Amino acid sequence: MNKLSINYIIARNFRKNIKNYYLYVFALVFSVALYFAFVTLQFDPALEEIKGSIKGEAGIKAGSILLIAIVTIFLLYANKLFIKRRSKEIGLYQLTGLTKQKIFRILSAENSILYCGSLAIGIFVGFSFSRLVAMVLFKITNIKTSTALKFSTSALIQTVIVFLIIFLLILLMNYIFIQRQSILSLFRVQSSTEEKVKRVTLNEMVVGLFGIALILTGYYISTRLFSGHFNSVNQLVLAMITILGSVILGTYLFYRGSVRFIFYLIRRQKGGYLNIREVLSLSSIMFRMKSNAILLTVITTVSALAIGLLSLSYISYYSAEKMAKSDSPADFSIVNAQDAEQFKQSLSGQGIGYKETRIDVIRSIVDLSQIIDISMDSVILKPEQALMSVVSAKDVEDVQLAEDEILLAGFSDTFKSLFSYKGTGSVQFHGLHKTISQQLIGLKKESIVSWPFAYGRMPIAIVSDATFEQLKQDLDPQIQAKFTTYFGIDITNRKQLEEADKIFQTLPPGDERFSNESQLESTNEQKQMMGLIMFIVGFLGLTFLVTSGCILYFKQMDEGEEEKPSFTILRKLGFTQGDLLSGVQIKQLFNFGIPLIIGLSHSYFAVKSGWFFFGTELWTPMFLVMLLYTALYSIFGILSVIYYKKVIRTAL
Amino acid sequence: MNILEATKIHKSYGNKFNRQEVLKGIDMAIGQGEFVSIMGASGSGKTTLLNVLSSIDKVSEGSVIINGQEMTTLREKQLAEFRKQHLGFIFQDYNLLDTLTAKENILLPLSITGVTKKAANEKFQALANELGIYDIKDKYPNEISGGQKQRTSAARAFIHEPSVIFADEPTGALDSKSASDLLNKLSQLNQQRQATILMVTHDPVAASYCSRVIFIKDGRIYTQLHRGTESRQAFFKDIMKTQGVLGGVQDEQAEY
Repeated sequence: MNKLSINYIIARNFRKNIKNYYLYVFALVFSVALYFAFVTLQFDPALEEIKGSIKGEAGIKAGSILLIAIVTIFLLYANKLFIKRRSKEIGLYQLTGLTKQKIFRILSAENSILYCGSLAIGIFVGFSFSRLVAMVLFKITNIKTSTALKFSTSALIQTVIVFLIIFLLILLMNYIFIQRQSILSLFRVQSSTEEKVKRVTLNEMVVGLFGIALILTGYYISTRLFSGHFNSVNQLVLAMITILGSVILGTYLFYRGSVRFIFYLIRRQKGGYLNIREVLSLSSIMFRMKSNAILLTVITTVSALAIGLLSLSYISYYSAEKMAKSDSPADFSIVNAQDAEQFKQSLSGQGIGYKETRIDVIRSIVDLSQIIDISMDSVILKPEQALMSVVSAKDVEDVQLAEDEILLAGFSDTFKSLFSYKGTGSVQFHGLHKTISQQLIGLKKESIVSWPFAYGRMPIAIVSDATFEQLKQDLDPQIQAKFTTYFGIDITNRKQLEEADKIFQTLPPGDERFSNESQLESTNEQKQMMGLIMFIVGFLGLTFLVTSGCILYFKQMDEGEEEKPSFTILRKLGFTQGDLLSGVQIKQLFNFGIPLIIGLSHSYFAVKSGWFFFGTELWTPMFLVMLLYTALYSIFGILSVIYYKKVIRTAL
Repeated sequence: MNILEATKIHKSYGNKFNRQEVLKGIDMAIGQGEFVSIMGASGSGKTTLLNVLSSIDKVSEGSVIINGQEMTTLREKQLAEFRKQHLGFIFQDYNLLDTLTAKENILLPLSITGVTKKAANEKFQALANELGIYDIKDKYPNEISGGQKQRTSAARAFIHEPSVIFADEPTGALDSKSASDLLNKLSQLNQQRQATILMVTHDPVAASYCSRVIFIKDGRIYTQLHRGTESRQAFFKDIMKTQGVLGGVQDEQAEY
């Protein structure tokens, strides 16, 4: 065979197959665009500000490595399906006498045309996309810059290098694939993955139940993870590894055994009398669930990971204001009289109205052992001898206390679960000489004073004025803090807040300046930091979502082709397209729904176990993330149904 | 009473410039309870004829009336409904669903008729016993032999008592023993249940089980043979004779 005819074959082939390629091209363009957008941002000077502010460089780097890993796996999977689809064609070439080397050359040439084309399109799409992404990023991090992104040559080079390496991997994969096949096996490959129908065995039931048990065990441990049952770091790490291991293994076994077994029970109960919907959903899923177990486990884990990470970072972002509020309950919190005086004068000078709150703070040793139950050795707080800040009820608005009553303020949900709060009870204050016993009557979530006054950002005790005076007389000077009076300044007119913030920034620097706090500034800092993390996580989450959705969709395209003969039979027998489609819809509901529901449930338990480290609000951000994820994920399910519709229509 | 009446059926494929006429005006009528086979050489249009009669394919011209219902004017969805309710099919390559057990395959056409589970079970039991496949009811198609598969397929065609059963080369993939088993069962069911069967075959042995054989050549009906009271062997010889006259490459050449 001379050179000309090979080129001819390549060209003809390319034109003929162009319809088959769109899946592959889509996967490529998508991956390239995503990666290029990410790298463009990485190299963009406009981002220096954010990166510098929190040393986000490392975060972005880690993100880009993870992105490469996902993209590689995704492309290799897409390529695997792609070459499998064309195995018949390859077999035909072999039959006509082409050597494997030549076939490999044809495929590679064809592949490289596709690959280069997609790379170029992807880079273009990615560049446009990165502008949009940058705008989003600046929006969520509250940074005001012009979003004039430049086309970055270094981003281009990095993208090209990465995808060149992936291309080599793909070539290697194709080479191995072609080398391994004989003509016969090439013809058979499409059906070889189709497992022979096997009977459901008792073994499977045991495996399935074991899987469910493992998942539940993991969930159970996760709910106890931070409630004081694991006392050392080592134990905690061990517990986390156990949770991960048992949940992932459990998920796998669940797919391998339980789903099939449950469907088998339903089917048996029908006594052989199945309607068309059950035929297309139950039997088809049962038939494939076992061989898809690994794929589904990966997808479930990836989904759970994405939802979990997105929820946590969104929780942080969402809680930024609340966190800032707990750090500085007033708009501006000042720790010494001098600064407060200066600030107030400047405010008056500018005609900005304000309201001042002044609270005296002392420190005392408190025995909390009756109200909290914590057994971690290495923590900041010993329940029997906790160092706590104490304020008088007379300084706090809306609080009335009897002489022996106290409240704990700044007692967030985080503390509640971390310390295993037991409820109200008696609390002892140890002064230098005397001990005063008081009754805890409740908790306040909000904090009263700014963070430098709350020892280690711990809760603060509000006691009656009489008790406060007693404690003040009996102070242990060694444990008192440097700052003893909190000045909270609230700006009356919210519109003047930014102006006030500018004045605040002119306060003299030093230790006091570090401890003085502007709520606005700290909200912005929080948002900036969490914004970038959320952005990276969101980017990765989106990639996880799209890749796992695509893989499921590709898988369904494959299954659709494999099931075409069944559709033909059913249509000949007189089942309408509508009949078949309704069955397929149920099938897809399961195919996409089962991994989604299990992924959601996994991420729910993951988030629930440790969310309080990330913020102050769990439900709203988590539900928003889950809802969004479900909506985006469903798109792939709908696309697959549309694809099936086409297959069914052409089946007769 | 005629259960199927076809008049002036034409079927052609291709476009305006490259048109190939496969059926060139076929008239036929099949009575209630008849067992008819259509024979012809490869390319004579017999499978096309079966497809258009059974509404799997559309005619280009002409009319097909089954059970008093004109088929050619029905829309696709109505056709599918009609097939589902009134027609039964047996195909050369069995066309069983791999993911269903034999019993599930057989009961499939009943699921849309609203028959109760109990009644369905009774029907199944009777039919499966007649066809000798009751023991394999819980097996999957890949676990049973070709003959068993085809009998399962036949059971599926009979279970909802359709007006007509169309069989496309049902013995094509079977060895001679399995083939004669199947044909015996088919003619038995034809007699016991008064089921109307229209079978396409190129196998004279298979055709000899029928009560009438229609010969097709080049898209037209060439002739037909009635078995009457003849023995199967004698009818077989008649069929062979007719086939000899009909087929053969020499005749084709003689025409040019």
